[in-house]
Amino acid sequence: MNPLHLLKMEWSKYAPNGAFRFFACLYAVALVLVVYLARSIGKAATINSYGVNNPIQSFFDFPHNWQVLAYIGSWMNAIILGSLGVFMMTMEFSNRTLRQSVIFGLTRYEVAAAKVVWPMAVALAATSCYLLLGLAWEAHDEVGVHLPPIGCALGYYLQALGYLLLGTLAGVLIRQTALATLGFLAYVLFLESVLRWIFYLNVGKVRLLLFLPVQLLGGLTPLPIPDSVNQIVYSDPATMPLSTSEATAGALVYLGLFAAFFFRRMSKSDL
Amino acid sequence: MSVLTIKDLTKVYGSVVALAGLDLTVEKGQIFGLVGPNGSGKTTLLGIILDVLHPSAGSFTWFDGVEGSHVRRRIGAFLETPNFYPYLNADQNLSLVASFKGVSKPPLDNLLELVQLKERRCSRFKTYSLGMKQRLALAACLVGDPEVLILDEPTNGLDPEGMVEVREIIQKIAAQGKTIIMASHILDEVERICSHVAIIKNGKLLATGAIGSILSNRPTVEVGAGDGEKLFQFLSGLSLVKKITRRDNRLLLELEPGTNHAELNRLSCEHGIVLDHLVLKRQSLEVEFLEITRK
Repeated sequence: MNPLHLLKMEWSKYAPNGAFRFFACLYAVALVLVVYLARSIGKAATINSYGVNNPIQSFFDFPHNWQVLAYIGSWMNAIILGSLGVFMMTMEFSNRTLRQSVIFGLTRYEVAAAKVVWPMAVALAATSCYLLLGLAWEAHDEVGVHLPPIGCALGYYLQALGYLLLGTLAGVLIRQTALATLGFLAYVLFLESVLRWIFYLNVGKVRLLLFLPVQLLGGLTPLPIPDSVNQIVYSDPATMPLSTSEATAGALVYLGLFAAFFFRRMSKSDL
Repeated sequence: MSVLTIKDLTKVYGSVVALAGLDLTVEKGQIFGLVGPNGSGKTTLLGIILDVLHPSAGSFTWFDGVEGSHVRRRIGAFLETPNFYPYLNADQNLSLVASFKGVSKPPLDNLLELVQLKERRCSRFKTYSLGMKQRLALAACLVGDPEVLILDEPTNGLDPEGMVEVREIIQKIAAQGKTIIMASHILDEVERICSHVAIIKNGKLLATGAIGSILSNRPTVEVGAGDGEKLFQFLSGLSLVKKITRRDNRLLLELEPGTNHAELNRLSCEHGIVLDHLVLKRQSLEVEFLEITRK
């Protein structure tokens, strides 16, 4: 079965679903709202600076505006898209439809492939939302419309896909919607940080810990803070944020691992 | 042509053996009943041949060993309860099943007509009664005109009217010459619908064959008289009576093959016992099933 057919199949499944529509609307509305608020705060800070060269002002100018937008979007990706990933998977388990689709004739491989191809399409839609919002922002500022740096858009896409697959993985492992969503959000919002700090305090600062999934996915859309500032804030090189290229390479490895784990789980376990 | 060949199939869950080296063959055109008490391994067996469970040992092949993913699309099945997307209606759910099977234009009208759901085709699945859900599951099984149907307890949880409706649909489908494999613990249902049967208990195959070959040819009669104890004493001494079972205040007799029940009446009269009840019982699968599973 070709990927397009699988996509069509998943679309017929999720498009009429109320919860899926809610998540999609929430994502778009929250992104617009938070960006609007951030811009309002930024503008206010600029006005209050009485002509002094305020560093916040440059945050909202090209090309930093795309990075700020991506950073704001990263929270939506983590919380909303991640939870959507959990829901899309656990919904199949609670309705026993994943099993039923195999009974009806799909192979396990096709089921697994659909669950990877569909998040790729959802992540693309989320990235389109980011791009449209960014372009609207630029058009509104009347300083000419610039396309985002390619790394920014790619990082945003990989991050959206990463959180969707991480959510899907939580759904596969826990299977129950409420528990899986709680587990996923707890891990994303604080468990990984707590684990990292426990490790830092007891074992030492190891740069490898920055490659933990949430830390790494966050590294794909960093705030546009100059390296000189980072060097002051993070005195230890082991805790310096990942570079975009490190984060991109790491994210690609993770995406491969998530997909491989998912395929293995689908092919080996009883449904 | 063999539609399904199962060899030495075993499934173990921890210390529980759900299937213990089961061998079975289903030929084309058979309506094959899998019967057994609850927990005997029927659903596990169907789960394995439908690829939702992995066997611990043994193997099975479909259609004389034809390989490839498309083999499964020649089979229509539902296992246990009907599972569909609750927020989708019958049309949407069946279209989705068609896309699972790679069928581009399923004849939804005909299918919904067959299962009498045409008028509720636009209602969401979650608003359906259990009987309607079972009927939609039957329609889903038929998408893509499969050669084989696998039905697990198709009348489970239905009221008598719903049971009759579903049985009639199955019989209509069977009349089209399709092979049907049906698990059920309702023996009367299996006896009415199936041409062949396999009896399973504790994951082991106890008997298999055509329904006629499973049912013995010993006639069974139910008798009663004013003095039941005297009748029992008399019949116990008769060589033509093979087995007597007390059933309330009547006696169920299993006679030697070829014995005429009129002979029994005549002998009773000659010994001064007037029978006030004599009914020739149809040999049922239930009797055979109980006999086989209690051995």
